[in-house]
Amino acid sequence: MAGALLKLDAISAGYHGQDVLRGLSLAIAEGELVAIVGPNGHGKSTLLRAISGLVRLSRGAIELGGRRLDRLRPDQIVAAGVVHVPQGDLLFPEMTVLENLQMGAYLPAASARLAERLEEVYALLPKLKERRDQVASTLSGGERRMAGIGRGLMADARLLLLDEPSLGLAPIIIDQIYEVIMALKRSGRTILLVEESAARVADKADRIHLLDHGEFVWAGAGSELMARPEILATYLGS
Amino acid sequence: MDVVIQIIASGLTLGAMYAVSTVGLSLVYGSLNMLNMAHGALLALGGYICFYSMTVLGLPALVGVGAAVVICGLVGLLIYVLTAAPMLGAPQFETGVFIATIGFGAVIENVILRTFGPQPQPQSLQVPGDIVIGHVHIPNQNLLILAVALGLMAAMALLLKRSRLGRAIRATAQNREAAQLMGVRVGRIYAAVLALSGGLAAISGIMVSSLYSLLPNMGGDPMLKAFIICIVAGLGNVTGAVISAIALGLLEATAQYNLGVQYSFALLLFLVIVVLIWRPYGLFGRKQVVRL
Repeated sequence: MAGALLKLDAISAGYHGQDVLRGLSLAIAEGELVAIVGPNGHGKSTLLRAISGLVRLSRGAIELGGRRLDRLRPDQIVAAGVVHVPQGDLLFPEMTVLENLQMGAYLPAASARLAERLEEVYALLPKLKERRDQVASTLSGGERRMAGIGRGLMADARLLLLDEPSLGLAPIIIDQIYEVIMALKRSGRTILLVEESAARVADKADRIHLLDHGEFVWAGAGSELMARPEILATYLGS
Repeated sequence: MDVVIQIIASGLTLGAMYAVSTVGLSLVYGSLNMLNMAHGALLALGGYICFYSMTVLGLPALVGVGAAVVICGLVGLLIYVLTAAPMLGAPQFETGVFIATIGFGAVIENVILRTFGPQPQPQSLQVPGDIVIGHVHIPNQNLLILAVALGLMAAMALLLKRSRLGRAIRATAQNREAAQLMGVRVGRIYAAVLALSGGLAAISGIMVSSLYSLLPNMGGDPMLKAFIICIVAGLGNVTGAVISAIALGLLEATAQYNLGVQYSFALLLFLVIVVLIWRPYGLFGRKQVVRL
């Protein structure tokens, strides 16, 4: 894909010398929402961790806007414009919501525009403004997820990595979370999203990649995937 | 009434000294899960540097204290570079760094022993005079220790709560991976924490040696008590450590007066046992569930 914002070139990565990802290639254009779906334990989260530098590549290369990312430390990757909202949100439990948001703007470029970033995040997620002085560990599951996404937005990243934002939440809260994600897409954000359920992202993502045993086994539009029950049954058991 | 005043004055002085020493240890454990066994040696090093600066070099007291803080801070940094950093991420990090810092502490103590000899020395930094409350004479030295300790604790609270570095330290302590994903360079935060802890150890060492005397192994007892306070408070809980240090200082002073000096340490150990049975995660610690 010419002019891709994010480009993965045959990347392999894993833990303790064992590759979990095997030769994955992917390109995401600016403003796209791309979803990675697949069963648990097949490398979806590892893929996001590899992009954000938490897991080192054994082979291949990752580029953001033409700049190599895979040789950088996680803090340098954040500074390059990639923000990862991890599975289970990983808030700082003993900090308030406001302090968590401030940590999202930790790097100098973002902290210089802290007030402006806070207003933008509060406009998108008004609940966070109500809860700003509340300690994160006392938030409900949905509020925690919102705070995690809000914290991710504070850095004003070029690429947002969202790891299973619906995990463990009630259907009504999941709908609210996806309303926020779609609002982000409409505002032109580039998003790489990981989900277990294809149905949840089929009508939202520009493209879906199906990940199985660390390899992409199918890619296309969500509507195409939903029209292929044999693929859903084989890889996702649904 | 005089007895109560005496106990409170002694207890607060002890508690203030313990607090300065304990906060450094607690900060390091909270951030890195690292029990820094060289902390006691850093206390002694701080005391001796102040003594050397004032007695041998003839420098003013403030310069002596500043030199002790800077040098012990740098040695703290060296402890990070030589012991913790190479083992970060290793499966047995806590055990490995525990043993490595015992070795590092032994080296510091032996350097002090070779340089200054084994005989006790009086700390040069002394404030003469006292104030009288009722019939009780409270030395100005004790009041200075109390004031410095309170000032340091307030400065630490401000640093941790209000500054960018403080927020990064707290974030790294609460979730290292999440802090990395916010752009925090955790290696630098760890190094800063060890340096800060070294500086606090220097001040604590000067305080302890000004009340007792300088000895190469003088840091052993305060470090042991700091560990006890850390455990009672909950390892890594800085606020809890300060409160527990003051409370244990008062308890120790009460025990020394009522039971005798020889029973005060036994009482502290008994208290640790009770706390560990009642709340294994400490008075201010949070229960953790570890999935095996």
